[in-house]
Formats: sequence, C-alpha cells, structure tokens
Amino acid sequence: METTLSPNIPNAPPDDRSKEVLSELEYGKLTSDQYLYVSKHPVGEPLPTPIDDEPPYIIYIATYISYLILIIIGHIRDFFGKTFKPNEYEDLVEKNGFAPWYDGFESFYVRRLKTRIDDCFARPIHGAPGRYIKCFNRIRHGKTGYLYDGTSTECLNLSSYNYLGFAQSNGVCTDFALKCLEEYGTSGCSPRSYIGTTDLHKECERVIADFVGKEDAIIVSQGYGTNANLFSSIADPKTLVISDELNHASIRFGIRTSGASVKVFKHNDMVDLEKLIRTQIAQGQTKTHRPWKKIIIAVEGLYSMEGNLVNLPKLVELKEKYKCYLFVDEAHSIGALGPEGRGVCDYFSVDPARIDLLMGTLTKSFGATGGYVAADKDIIDKIRLNYITQSYSECVPPPVLGQIISSLSVIKGTLNPGEGKERLQRIAFNSRYLRLGLKKLGFIVYGADDSPVIPLLLFLPAKMPAFSRMLYELGIAVVIVSYPATPLISARARLCVSSALTKEDLDYCLEKFSEIGDTIFLKFSSGIAGGSKIAGTPPRWSIEDVIATNVEDCKKPKLGYY
Amino acid sequence: MASAAEIIYTATTTTTTTTTTTAVVPPTWDLVTQKLADNFVYYLDGLDNLPGGQIILRYIKSSYKNDPVRSLFELALFIFALNYFLSSKRRENKSEFVKFSNKEIDELVDEWVPEPLIDDINPYEKWQLDAVPEVKGHNGSHINIDGRQQVINLASNDFLNLNENSTVKEVAAQVINTDGVGACGPPNFYGTQDVHVRLEEDLARYLDGEQSILYGQDFVTAGSVIPAFLKRGDLCVVDSGVNLAIQKGLILSRCDIEWYDHNDMIHLEQILSEIKPVLDRQKPIKRRFIITEALFANSGDLANLKTIVELKNQYKYRLFLDESLSIGTLGKTGKGLVEHCNIPRVEVSISIGTMANSFASSGGFCVGVTPMIHHQRIQSIAYVFSASLPPYSAKVVSQAIKEINDNRNAEGESIIIKSLHDKTSYVHKGLSKILKTSNYFEIVSDINSPIVHLSLKSKYREQLELPKIYGNSELLIKGKPAKYLNPFNDYYNFESFLLQKVIDFILQNSNILITRSKNLVEHENLPVLNPHLLIHINNGVNQSDYQKLLDVFDLAINKVLNPINNENDLFELTNEILNY
Repeated sequence: METTLSPNIPNAPPDDRSKEVLSELEYGKLTSDQYLYVSKHPVGEPLPTPIDDEPPYIIYIATYISYLILIIIGHIRDFFGKTFKPNEYEDLVEKNGFAPWYDGFESFYVRRLKTRIDDCFARPIHGAPGRYIKCFNRIRHGKTGYLYDGTSTECLNLSSYNYLGFAQSNGVCTDFALKCLEEYGTSGCSPRSYIGTTDLHKECERVIADFVGKEDAIIVSQGYGTNANLFSSIADPKTLVISDELNHASIRFGIRTSGASVKVFKHNDMVDLEKLIRTQIAQGQTKTHRPWKKIIIAVEGLYSMEGNLVNLPKLVELKEKYKCYLFVDEAHSIGALGPEGRGVCDYFSVDPARIDLLMGTLTKSFGATGGYVAADKDIIDKIRLNYITQSYSECVPPPVLGQIISSLSVIKGTLNPGEGKERLQRIAFNSRYLRLGLKKLGFIVYGADDSPVIPLLLFLPAKMPAFSRMLYELGIAVVIVSYPATPLISARARLCVSSALTKEDLDYCLEKFSEIGDTIFLKFSSGIAGGSKIAGTPPRWSIEDVIATNVEDCKKPKLGYY
Repeated sequence: MASAAEIIYTATTTTTTTTTTTAVVPPTWDLVTQKLADNFVYYLDGLDNLPGGQIILRYIKSSYKNDPVRSLFELALFIFALNYFLSSKRRENKSEFVKFSNKEIDELVDEWVPEPLIDDINPYEKWQLDAVPEVKGHNGSHINIDGRQQVINLASNDFLNLNENSTVKEVAAQVINTDGVGACGPPNFYGTQDVHVRLEEDLARYLDGEQSILYGQDFVTAGSVIPAFLKRGDLCVVDSGVNLAIQKGLILSRCDIEWYDHNDMIHLEQILSEIKPVLDRQKPIKRRFIITEALFANSGDLANLKTIVELKNQYKYRLFLDESLSIGTLGKTGKGLVEHCNIPRVEVSISIGTMANSFASSGGFCVGVTPMIHHQRIQSIAYVFSASLPPYSAKVVSQAIKEINDNRNAEGESIIIKSLHDKTSYVHKGLSKILKTSNYFEIVSDINSPIVHLSLKSKYREQLELPKIYGNSELLIKGKPAKYLNPFNDYYNFESFLLQKVIDFILQNSNILITRSKNLVEHENLPVLNPHLLIHINNGVNQSDYQKLLDVFDLAINKVLNPINNENDLFELTNEILNY
C-alpha cells in the first residue's frame, strides 16, 4: 500500500484478524492461577503511612535549573518572536479593537513548555482501549500540527482507566449494551425529571445501590458533572466543607459553586484533620462565631495522582466522634479495590452505612461513563428533587446503562460466574506485581501497595518526553503528568494497571522500564520505601532477579520489606 | 558623623525657600541620631568578642560607611520582614480567634448538634417526585408509561425523532462492536478516538465554524467555556433571561456583568453606549462579550440576532450564543438561529450546543475559531478533567448530521427539518385559534420554537393572587448571587400542580403526554418565570395525533381550571397535593 501523509486523522484501518485474536488483544487470558491476589486491608491494623521517597538533591537542583532555562528561553523566544514574526503571535495581541482570546502570560506555560512535548499528549487512538491500545502513527509537522500515514501501532496499555478490563468490544457486556441500544435507543433525549427516566435507569440505580451497599443511588451522565453540581444541593455558606488538599478539580469546583465555606487539610493527614475539626467546632462560623450548621468532610477513596488510599478506618472514627458528615469520591477505587470490588469500604471492611455519601464514577472500572451518588433513601429522594442535573441535563443513555448493569452483574457473579472474581483478583495481583517490580528495580513510586494507580517519579521536565517517547517506540503507552496537575518539581508517569494485562505483559514492561531507567537515569530511590534486599540500602535488583522472585514476594502482606 | 543629613538639608535650603522652616529641626534630629548611632556602635562592638564576629563587624561597618542609623533602619526593616513572613500564615483570623483549652473544646464538641445532611422532603413538594413519568422500554415518539400503552410523547427533546431512526442505531451498534462503550480516559490522555475527531470536523463543517470541541455532558459546557475566556476584570453584557448553565458560568468567571432586559434591544444599546466612554479609556483592552441564548429555554422566544450582531460590531464585542435548543430545529437545514436569521456563523464568536436534543446522542459542543477552540483544550476544566464522550455517541451525532443535512428537497431544505417546521406551525396555529377566547392560557413562545410554551394568562394569575415572578433578583441588582438557595415557594408549587392536573387530564383522555417547565427555583440565580405548560413537537407524531391534542386541549383546561377562581380555591388543592 502506498503511504501518503495527511494532516487529518485517518479512519481506523481495516482489521481482518479473527474475533479470538482480537478479544485476546483486548483482554489477555490468565496464564496461571498463581497470578491472583485478593485486595483487602487486614482489619484492625493501621494504614501504613505512605513513604514518599526523595531523590538526591542534585535532581531537585537540576529540575529547578531546567525549568529556569525553559522559562528564560521561552521569554527570549517570545520577545524576539513578537518583534520579528508578529504574524505568528497575532493571537496574543489586540486586533481591530478586540482583546486577544487569551493573554501571553496566561498561555506562557502552554505555549513554551507544553507545546514542546505535545506529541506525548492526546495521542489519537481507535478501537477499544483494552489490553492493547491502537495509536495512530504521526509525525510532528509545523508548530502544532501532525502528519498521519494512516497506520497505527498497538501498544500495551498502561494509560487507560480500564481497571477491570471492561473496555472490550465483545463479550457479555457488549452484547447487553447492544441489546439496550436496540430496545431503548441511542439517547435518553431528555432530562431525568421530564421524560428521561426509563425502567432501565431505575434498574441501574438499584443495581448500583445494591453493589455499593446503600439504600438508593442516583446516576448522572458524567462523573465531573456529578461532583460539580452535587454540593449546591447539600451545602450553603453556613456549612463547612473540609476538603483534602489533593481532591479532584470537580470536587473543588463543586464546593466553590455551592458557596460553602471551605477549609483544607493536609493530604491524608488525620492528625491535621482532627485538629482542624476541633478548632472549627470551637470557633464556629467566621465573624459570627455561631456554630456551623453542619460539617462535611470531602475525600477521595484513591487519589489519582498520588496512588494513595484514604485512611478510612480512622476517618470514620473521627467523623463519628465529631458528628461530621462524610463524602467519599470513589472515582478510582470503586471496582478496583476490595475482595468484591466494592471500593474502599470493602477494602477496609468498613460498613458502608457509616459513610453518608458515596460517590463514584462508572467510567473507570466498568468501561461505561457517568457517575453516581449513593446514600440513604431519604437523602437520595431529596436529591432527586433538587439536584441540578436532574432537571437541566441529559440523562444517561441506554447503551451506557446496559454496560453498567452488565459489568456490575459480572463482578457480582450473577452473570458469567467466576469471571468477575478473576478480574478482581487479577487487578489486585497486577497492581502489586508491577509496583513491587518497579520498587526493586530502584524507581521511586508513590502510593499504597494495593493501588492500581502507580505514579513513577521522573522529576526533570526533559525526562517526561524521553520516557514517554522511548516507551512508545517499544510499544508501551503511558501517561505523563506534570504541573499544574502535580507540584512543579515532581513530574511523573502515571501507570494505570488493568486486569486485562497478563503477568507476561507486566514482565515485558518491567524489562523495558529497567532498560530505559538505566539509559535516562531514573533509578534513584533511596530504599526507605522498601524494595531492598538489605534494609536501608538503595534497591537495584537486576531484571532477572526481579522476575524470578516477584510472584512470591508481591503476595507478602507488606511490599518490599524482607 | 551626621554630615550626610546635613548635606541634604543644606542642599534643599539652597534650592527652595520653603524648607527653610524645617531647617531649624536638624540640630535636635542630629542629636538623636548621634545618640542612636553611638549606642548601636557600642553594641556592635560587642560582636567583637564572638568567634567570627570581627568579620561580621567589618562587613557591617563597611556597609554603613558613615551612617550607622541607616544600618539600624535596615536592620529594623529586616526584622519586620522576617516577622511578617513568619507570621503571615493564618494571621487574618488572629483577631477573631478565641483560645480554648482542650477540655473546653471537648465540651463544645459534645454540645454541638449539627443539622441533618439534607432537609427532609417538604410534604407539599413530594408529589413532584411521583409526577415524574417512568418510561417502560423504548424512549421515542410513542412510549409506554405507567401501564399505558403507545402514549404519544410530546415531552421529549428528541424533536427529529432520530432516537427511533434505524440507520442511527446501526452505526451506533457498529462502533460498540469495535470500540466498546466507554472511552476510558480524558481526551488529552488517550481518550480521543478517530470518531471523536471526525465528529469535531463534521460539526465544524455543518455549522460553518473553523473548529469544534466536544464535552461529555451538555450542562457543564457553558459553565466551563465561559470561565475559560472571561476572567476577573473582563466584561459581559448578558440577557437577563438566560438559563441556569450560563448563570453558573458567569458566577464562576467572576467577570463584571451588565444585564439587559430580556430581549430588549433598546436597553442593550443603551447599556453599550453608556459604558463605551469607560471602555474607550481602557488600556490594554479587556475581553468583552454579549451573552445570550438563541432559543430561550425558559421562555421559548428567539433572540433578536440581527440587532445584536449589528450592535456587537458597532461596539466591538464578541458574541457568545447558546444554541442548545435551536441547532437541529431552526433554519432551513437546522443550523440554528444563525441560519434562521440569515447571518453568517463567523459573526458568532462562540457557539455552544448540546448533542442530547435533536442529535439523539449525548454531550455538548462548542464551535468557533481555531485559537478559541485550541485554548479550551487545555484551559477548560470540564474538558480537561473528565472522560471523553463514549465513541458510539460521537458516531451517532455524525450520522444525525448526515440525516439532517443530506436529505434535502428541491428548495434545498432538509426534509426532516421542514417536516418539524410544518408540525410546529400547525400546532402553534391550532392552539392560538383555540386560546383566542380562553380565559386561562396564552402562548408565549415564538412561532418557530419546537417547544410551545403556554403560560397562565396574567389576568387569571392576578385573580388567583399568584406572584408575578419567583426566585430572587440579587444577581441582577448586585452582580453577586444570593448566598442561600431560594426558599421553597408555595405558590410556585400550587401553580405547577395546576399545570400537572392539565397534563394528567390530557394523558387520561387522549393518551398524549405533554409536560411543564420543571425549573428548580431553589437553584436559579435570576428571577424565575411562572411555570409553563410545554408541548415538545416530535417528528414521529403525525398530524392527526396533533389534532387529537388540539381537540382535547380546550376541554382539559376548562375542566381543570373552571373550579379554581381565587386564592382559596387554590389552597383547597392542598389535600390533593398531599395525596397525589
């Protein structure tokens, strides 16, 4: 076939491989019963404080210097560019009496830093983002454009939120989604309170409530929209919302729109939280010193940038002691944690009844889209009446409902018994296996042992594109994140583990990570976070040793301590 | 030693005469500084005894040259800065902070009784929960609800009935068969598929824009696009009848807002000309927008686009237009109000819309020039922080655009849009004829609106002593939203219930479902209109069925509203409300 380069994204190339091959590429078969694990926190034991390892000082200094250089060069280029190539900067200057769309300072970071590594973001794909993800091949062309040759590369997928591997284009879930499409149509075509409520919506809400262990639930067509509008219904300026400093943008946005008073506590720091609650109850509202109407603590179950788990047992204790209400956003933890996949409550063996509002998204573990809020029946009934999305926003479309209902049935075991259990135990094993492997090799990784989100620290801005591009060449797709999603100095690659990956896939990843880690000097862990053969020394295992011992080691209760 | 000060003073006295009076001061001032300096030097000499002190001493002495007071002053500044820096945290509350012992706090904690997380449902509003119809099975032009079969559905936003279109379903199934259901990632992290990009191209081409961008939900679109371009200090002039999504966006953007009366072009021009002199002095120029809906969701009337475009060009504003209800319904080929008014799309800087209405899919979108769209891909939070639209939804919209745009008649009109227009005007004309003599209802929406808004006549409302308008107007007057949600309003509840009775009567007697506006008065930041009865025109319903509605309508309103002639009659409905 003749290849012609085009600036437009091509259509998906035809794929005539058999259904079996394709489904294996979306969800790899389990190769041994050895590669399973049950994700559960030992009851009564305190949650170990996550240890964030630090690299040598030279890395920090080099990082700052790198940014300094990038910023200085950026300003120099801006200065000369504006003088000599004004037509390239016309978006930044006034034109015919109109202000520019955005000013130069606002967009400096994007223009001068992000654009340089733009090819590592928003790689267009086609097909289901399962075990392998098919990315279109492209070459940088001009300032922001690309040229496509019409082909795509299949990469191992460590990037999609596909924890349980439900991103599939065949199987029971797809069949059910197609059935719902046929019987109910492509869209709800109306907000819920008008004519957007079908029996399928009601059933989906029942299934979710039952799954998370609450009396009732309400679903919304987008996870972001769930949080962004929820707080307006439950909080006002006489309410105090205590929010973790690393909460997701949607929670912060939601709290801001509600007009509630906000106080922030240090990430996952229960001592700081207790101090804050005590002070706030004693001081009351600002100025008037009247007691707060109510206090809502807003946390996430699993933090998507840090991989940390919320200290739920302690939090529930505090919440009950101080009569606060607790909102837990299970966007990343629902489905991905716990022996039955029911999220952090399941993982910590905490009765869901002790948490007032359980929110989660259906995008991540279930291969669908949207969000839910689950709570007691009287709370949900009231929310049904005054939740903004109920009256002003589209309802969840039927095929998505089909995907949610069927994937939850698989997890519960009512559909295809055994499959759900395998998926849950595979993600638990895969998460621990990859995490421990990286630790042993000497990388700095953050987060809890059982977290399927594994942030691998890169620090230097130049290592972000290097890491991403080198892995892409080797057929592994990863997500790199940096400022503003993380602090400026701790740029990272965020690996999302999936049940769809086999142990052999992970071995391949470890092997390639190890090679790249040596090439671009990423193995700088000090050993305090574990992984060493001798306590306290920096772990630097060879890849052969890692693969030989890792299956055994990753099933030990605490990772990296021997 | 104090020569420096002297030099300055002598210098000033020689140049100006006014300072001669102050020149008397130096001797005493001199004395003070001399004393200070001596003391300072004395203490400084003490440093000599410390190890390494001599070096510091030499350094300080060489720095102050002949003026130890200057060093003293610098030292004081340094201490102040250090103190300020260290105590800046939480300082603002210090004056209000009451110190308690741990025991006292424990007591306060014991005493504190928080309110419930959410108030119980008011028994008077509980009926609204039961009045939400539940569809069994397919949601289309004919539905099964509450045990009734084949009810004619005039309540859905699926005006073109594409949800029942088999080709649309087929392409959706194809995509699910290759891509699965969810996109499993945000657009910037492997969440962008070929179908998404295709749709962005299709939308841009269909709506004559340069580029477009997709959002995962319709409601968040306005609330995310507006804050991406309007920041503190920017200005927007806004129609005071806009929907809640725009209100939220405006509040979050913290820009300056000027409101013009709903659809009042004279008022708009007056405001624009009044603020022009202030803006002319502005340097650099700030961003300024005129913001309006094309087809108003709250009132069903159309924005006077022609005049707005003239004004915005004259006064150099950009135009933000919410075409959520008008795209796919207005204009010869459904391109919205812009096509309806024969105005090129370039006149509208930002157009937003939803794909959940006429396109039978889900999500929202924004169309406009390239730098504007590009900026959103990084700066618009609902785009950056949320998962992509499911790929099949994107494909459905692409197909829907084809269905609308490709099938045209000899006059170049889209066949399905034309059919919708015919049905709309048929119902509109039929109803106006019936309501000409009615005491109770009048049509308030535009004749082109695919949602017919029927409002209780103001005379009748006066008779029932219903308030003119609900909600609050703090955002209009002060520019800041009210701090608390609007309280539950009994009158709004009763008025809505009256409309519900009409709806129920029509459903029982002719198997047709219409609906009413269900705005959440609690959350609205602008004054809320009285509730309207809504008839959503649907392409899948044929003329004879619309005739059936027209036949029953007069009977229904007379039957329901005849017994209610004053406020007391209204309140007598209380029992009915409680037992709904």
